[in-house]
Amino acid sequence: MAASKEIMEALADYQVQCNNNKRLRRMQRDWSKLLHFVGEDTGDKFTMDVVKGEIVSFAEGASGTPDIIVTASSEDLCDMFWGDLNPSQKYLEGEIKVKASQEDVVRLDAITMIIWPDV
Amino acid sequence: MTTLKKVLKLRTVVSTSAGMALATSCYLAGLQVATMLVGELAWISILVAGLFCMLSAMCFSELTSLYPTAAGIKLFIQNAYNEKAAISIGMFYVILGISMVGAESYLLSSVLTESFNLFGPQADRLFWMVIFILFVGYINYRGIFITGLFQDILTYTMISFLIIVSIYTFTILDVQLVEAVTRPDFTVSNVLTAAGVGVFLYVGFEWVTPLAEETTDYRMIGRGMMIAIGLLSITYSLFVVAMWTGLTEAQLKAGSPIPHILFAGNVFGPVGVGVFVLMSVLASVTSFNAGLLNTSRFAYAMARDNVLPRVFSKLHPDHATPWVAILGLVVFAIALSLLIFFTGQYLFIIVMAAALECIIYVVMALCVLRLRKRQPEKERAYRVPFGKVIPVITIIVFGGLCLGLYADVSCDYAGNVLFHNYWVALVMAAFGGLTLLYTLMVVPVFKRKAAERASQRKRRRPGR
Repeated sequence: MAASKEIMEALADYQVQCNNNKRLRRMQRDWSKLLHFVGEDTGDKFTMDVVKGEIVSFAEGASGTPDIIVTASSEDLCDMFWGDLNPSQKYLEGEIKVKASQEDVVRLDAITMIIWPDV
Repeated sequence: MTTLKKVLKLRTVVSTSAGMALATSCYLAGLQVATMLVGELAWISILVAGLFCMLSAMCFSELTSLYPTAAGIKLFIQNAYNEKAAISIGMFYVILGISMVGAESYLLSSVLTESFNLFGPQADRLFWMVIFILFVGYINYRGIFITGLFQDILTYTMISFLIIVSIYTFTILDVQLVEAVTRPDFTVSNVLTAAGVGVFLYVGFEWVTPLAEETTDYRMIGRGMMIAIGLLSITYSLFVVAMWTGLTEAQLKAGSPIPHILFAGNVFGPVGVGVFVLMSVLASVTSFNAGLLNTSRFAYAMARDNVLPRVFSKLHPDHATPWVAILGLVVFAIALSLLIFFTGQYLFIIVMAAALECIIYVVMALCVLRLRKRQPEKERAYRVPFGKVIPVITIIVFGGLCLGLYADVSCDYAGNVLFHNYWVALVMAAFGGLTLLYTLMVVPVFKRKAAERASQRKRRRPGR
């Protein structure tokens, strides 16, 4: 079980990796979404604001009305943000649940795939 | 539960489900149902097929409420049985599903060839076939999505139009219902065999299940599918009988691939032909577009899961679309279209698609039963009523329809044999065998290589 603090650290790294990746920023340049992440086992919630492909902020708690809701175990969330987990695999196994359009599901997965192509 | 900024309404779930089933090939399939039975009574088989599809829709509803995800069918089978079964059946479903594009593009090109003369009949047909597939491929490549509102307008306009046209036809032409009942072809066996082909009319209604992730209440998908099947049943029942009544004996005997255009010309003249051509184009584009969208995303997900070669997971740097998967499917669709172009066996694909749907419906009903046993406590927003009765009936009905289809012979209006349907069974068995071999022999290699890559990679998470 990953603590909220661990996930926030992972999110901080995720933000740096995303925002510094030129290829990803180009691909996601039209993508502006508010995301909620929910730790299924802990009940912890996190909000991430993406504006034109840039993660402009993230915080603990669920604020605003989201475009995308991702629900997974806290461990999986933490691993995903560190780039240690293939979100597609977990999604196909039903362990990561996403409420979003199909396009957003692909775009969300693209973040991991572009930053960590060998995952 | 937190809701999304944009959620789908029941109206759009219904229009998406019905819109995927409404395609140009449906007119021909409807006429084939009429040919197999007695034209004026085709509605009986269409309603029977619709009723059967409702049973299957109930099974899909329970499964979707259990796993409301776009990964749908693969996840249902994986949890009910195992990953190998899920991969084999999922790929079998997708590969054969995309083969419907071959028939659809051939029929649409026939419609357009009839309306626009460019280089000559055969060259025109080839031209329109390729243009149609490339156009839809391009839409997908650019990531242009058909919005819910556009889908709503399109589907409800088409359904209203077909119903109004049918009712108008009945007011000007005489339908010989009483005489039709006395004909020797009107038998229970023929009603059921025709219902087997009638299943094709509903093909794709279940492709709405990936939209569960965009709804607030998962039961909405089930309700949407049921309403869509009901609407399609009424529309097809009326229109197929109207079309049959509006065609001349010579036109029926000619076995044209575009009966709805001939019907429009007979009843409404050149304006009617123009409107029906437009309807055909819109129906084919929306139906194929949704099909390509789903299958390319499926191929992408399979590649990310190390089931297909990794190249299929490549995303376009600007549009974020799985362009290699789209390109591969477009090439496959063109190859199939060319095969149909040179052989003219579009009916073969229609029978194959109907049989494929029957098989998938049987598998889904089996998954319902198996998952109830394996995961009895897991929350289901919807549960098929009456215990095991409906899933068991679904298995028997669609298993029977599939076997009935395979045992039948496809004939034209004049009774000439087109092909023995056991050939359909053989082709499907060959595809099934190939996907199974791939799953057992190739997938483990990809998985092993992925595991090796993962083991060489240093974990980034601190302290792990």
